[in-house]
Amino acid sequence: MPKHLFRNALTAFGLAFLVTTTAVEAQLRDVVSKEVAVGRSEATLRLELSGNGTLEITFEDGMVLIDGESVGVFEPGDQLEAAWWSLLGQARSLDDGELALMLSDWSVPAELAGELADLAQEVDRALEDALSSFDVTVRSDDATVSMSIGDEGSLLQLLLNSTSRLGLMQQALSGLGGDFALHIDEDVDVPEGTTVDGTLVVIQGNVRIGGEVDGDVVVVDGTLELLERSRVRGAVRLADARLVRNLGTVDDGLLYLLDEERVLETEIRREIREELQDELRSQLRRELREVTRLEFSDDDDGFSLMAPFRSVFRGVGELFKNLISILVLGLLGAGAVAFAGTKVDTIAETARSAPGRSAMVGLAGSLLLIPVWILGAIALSVSIIGIPVAVVWLPLFPLAACAAGVMGYLAVARNTGEWLADSEYPWTGWIRKSNHIYTIFGGLFGLMFAYMAANVVSIVPFLGFLAGLLVFAGSIVTFFAIQIGFGAVILTRAGKRPEWSTPYDADAAWEEAMEGDIEDVEADVEGATAEAQGDDDDA
Amino acid sequence: MTTMRKALSVAVIMAAVVAPTLLAAQSWRDVTMSRQIEDNREVRVLVEYAAGRLTVRPTAEGLLYSMNLHYDEDRFEPVADFSGDRLRLGVESIGRSFNVGRGKQSGELDLELARGIPMELDLEFGAVRADIDLGGLALTALDLSTGASQSTIDISEPNSVVMSAARFEIGAAEFEVRHLGNLNAEFIEVDAGVGQVTLDFTGRWQRDARVSIDMGLGALELRIPEGLGVRLRKDGFLVSLDSEGLVKRGGAYYSLDWDDADRKITIDLDAAFGSVVVEWVR
Repeated sequence: MPKHLFRNALTAFGLAFLVTTTAVEAQLRDVVSKEVAVGRSEATLRLELSGNGTLEITFEDGMVLIDGESVGVFEPGDQLEAAWWSLLGQARSLDDGELALMLSDWSVPAELAGELADLAQEVDRALEDALSSFDVTVRSDDATVSMSIGDEGSLLQLLLNSTSRLGLMQQALSGLGGDFALHIDEDVDVPEGTTVDGTLVVIQGNVRIGGEVDGDVVVVDGTLELLERSRVRGAVRLADARLVRNLGTVDDGLLYLLDEERVLETEIRREIREELQDELRSQLRRELREVTRLEFSDDDDGFSLMAPFRSVFRGVGELFKNLISILVLGLLGAGAVAFAGTKVDTIAETARSAPGRSAMVGLAGSLLLIPVWILGAIALSVSIIGIPVAVVWLPLFPLAACAAGVMGYLAVARNTGEWLADSEYPWTGWIRKSNHIYTIFGGLFGLMFAYMAANVVSIVPFLGFLAGLLVFAGSIVTFFAIQIGFGAVILTRAGKRPEWSTPYDADAAWEEAMEGDIEDVEADVEGATAEAQGDDDDA
Repeated sequence: MTTMRKALSVAVIMAAVVAPTLLAAQSWRDVTMSRQIEDNREVRVLVEYAAGRLTVRPTAEGLLYSMNLHYDEDRFEPVADFSGDRLRLGVESIGRSFNVGRGKQSGELDLELARGIPMELDLEFGAVRADIDLGGLALTALDLSTGASQSTIDISEPNSVVMSAARFEIGAAEFEVRHLGNLNAEFIEVDAGVGQVTLDFTGRWQRDARVSIDMGLGALELRIPEGLGVRLRKDGFLVSLDSEGLVKRGGAYYSLDWDDADRKITIDLDAAFGSVVVEWVR
């Protein structure tokens, strides 16, 4: 199609629409969803229409509302309300095309007069405006332009508002040839498996392509989404439009076009961005100078020769503290394994098989610790027999809680160590999974790794932020490890109740691994053995 | 036992739900909603319904769903939310106070869902008399949880797609599922609290399946079609098992034709304080 035909069709379309209405074919929109609600004093019809159209008409407490705005009043029980109820009664049983046809065919009942008739006219107009869409086909000798317009209002609005954008539109449409499908103010969906022949032009609408377009795609003032396996055999032109997803194939590439106003705006934004960047750079330089100056200055009175090594001493010292902590905790863990190995096993298994529940129980237990401690002391203090017990209760309860926390943490460390032993991370080869003391020490190194990394990183200048992040990560890990472990201790009553633990089931693991039935396998093996024996006997 | 605790808690919750329902002042509203099918992508459907009568069945082609609701507008509001691949239907409480001494009716929800559209279906209902027919739906997963209900679930026609898992979580209920074979499921899990549960394993079995039943206090009836290979592994406390037609080998009960059956199901049963009856269906 010659390009002038299309441009002429677009720019003259407003006039053509008014003058040659015979070229315009009114069609009914699809009803995507409907809602008919009838209550004590309310009767509502809600429609969702193709092309993102909606309509809501409500008769409620003597008022008629169209899309939330009051358009008139009626008397409950009058003829207009009766007609509306009758319409809704029919709407309940119809869908899509039949429903749209019935609603658009509805007209003002003859028995209505005066204000009620005017109000009914409003309702009728709202239904027709919402349900009608306009399709236009302009034919020339060698090409066809088919147009689809959301509603009359959108077309007129487009024409009135587009004078400043005609240049942009002309730019977007220049050089296009062949057949066009033009959509104005409506969304377009090209589902997977379908093909649009010719160029697709969408103005003020969103386009979603899952299939193919055998031509160019032009989007003006909208968005374009290219789904997986979609294909545009021509070019994509986005005029004042946005590409929200690009998973498809565009044979002739993408072209962004902006109107002058937008170009100016982009230019201003670019200048502002550059100014901001310059300002930030200079501020950063100032701060760096300041930090460097502080690093080399003494806390009290300026420069110190030891200042450059202070961060090294601090980092190494903290690292040493963490290593001592691991050693102490590891020795405690070794003691626990030696004297209460079964209980540690139960707690660790529970923490492993029900970590979420354990964490929740641990969190709840932590929150309740202080209230229980205080209430327990009060309850014991009200009786003479209880007073000596309260004296023991006050120091022993916090100690027991701490012991439970440490025990839980060590159980989680053991699980972590086992996990590290199975992993192929460097420097984990020394962890022997069969020895719980190794796994506890390995797990402690794992759980406190972030802290130790933070100690090392803090030695390097200007990496304070990274060190802070690592400390934060270490705190999170420690918090959850303690909560899970503490919860597992509570759930198992300090390792006495194994309900929540699920010991390793060799049969189940084998079945799962083989995706078969171990008994069937055993039977097969037995059968094979018997057969082999039979063969031997025969021999 | 966890299921017993769950059953008791469900019973208490249901009592809290049902009592106000019976006593509340009611202002009834009727709503009809429907939506067209726009494409054939899989949809995740969540249906929530607290109290009343619930009917679910397949609908005619062309509609993704069609729903008729009769509900108390002072206490509930309808939900029909479709965004992305999620469809949420039913009613939700608006938490208003109740007036005591009025109210005779109960709410109703009639729901029809599209045939042929792949669906993950999640049904959650409370004090409900449910009559649900899922036959003909293309279900990729099913999750059904109910409180104090009297429910009949029927899969009257075979599921056209493979279902990864079907889960039934039942509080205190009289619960019957018919034609479980038509579910085309690889794994079926039933977690029941208190009540009478009937599981009918008839239907067209297209694959072997695993069934896990965790039953609290109550009676469990297993209706098994002849010709279906069954292995039943039982674990429980004070449970009587009427295992007619099953022979015990090792730690499990087997149907007589277990070795020759074309389709086999393995039932893992964990129950307490109840009876389990196996009934063979010709």
